[in-house]
Amino acid sequence: MTFDLITWAVLAVSVGSVTLGLVVGYQAYRGFRRNDSRPMRLLSVGLILLTAVPFTLTFVTTLLIRLEPSFAQFRRGLFLLAQVLQFAGLAFITYSLYER
Amino acid sequence: MSEECDEEDVLELLNDEYARAILTETSAEPMSAKTLSERCDASLTTIYRRIDRLKECDLVEERLQPQPDGNHYKVFVSRLDSFAVSFEDGEMQTEMARVPTEEDPADRFTEMWEGL
Repeated sequence: MTFDLITWAVLAVSVGSVTLGLVVGYQAYRGFRRNDSRPMRLLSVGLILLTAVPFTLTFVTTLLIRLEPSFAQFRRGLFLLAQVLQFAGLAFITYSLYER
Repeated sequence: MSEECDEEDVLELLNDEYARAILTETSAEPMSAKTLSERCDASLTTIYRRIDRLKECDLVEERLQPQPDGNHYKVFVSRLDSFAVSFEDGEMQTEMARVPTEEDPADRFTEMWEGL
């Protein structure tokens, strides 16, 4: 299977974003464990929902559509799902900030 | 913060019994101004005044203590480990050591986020 440059770029950035999201989310989770801090647990979940999960979705969606073009019909639905997950992530982060 | 406060200022601050008491008490654990007022047998005004001066010299750190019921309050923690004065060869030397800040990124992250 051959990908065009844009597709490669999207995949590369998605992988990078998932990695960074997991790194930051993981440190937040460690902060929760080491300091018994509930806000950090909420922050950790929020960060991962905001970054790693949607970017994984983007990655998988891009790959699937290239492999099976008929999947393109789901693209908008999956895009909405990614948006919803990002919103949920932001909600967790906001909650973590205000609910102390 | 520390531009206005050199080691001579710290020495002068340490001369104050309440400043010393605050540093002593909070070296064990973070405390609120109210607790310090009781422990050091001083009015809240006195405590707050000393805390302000200690904060100016970066000798005391203010943190927010999260409470499950939502009523978070400020606590203060000493940042000063030791202060030494020595006299040698016609000169006075002062040496000050502060409490090391957290190194682990997870702890720095937590401290930063909880401080917001």
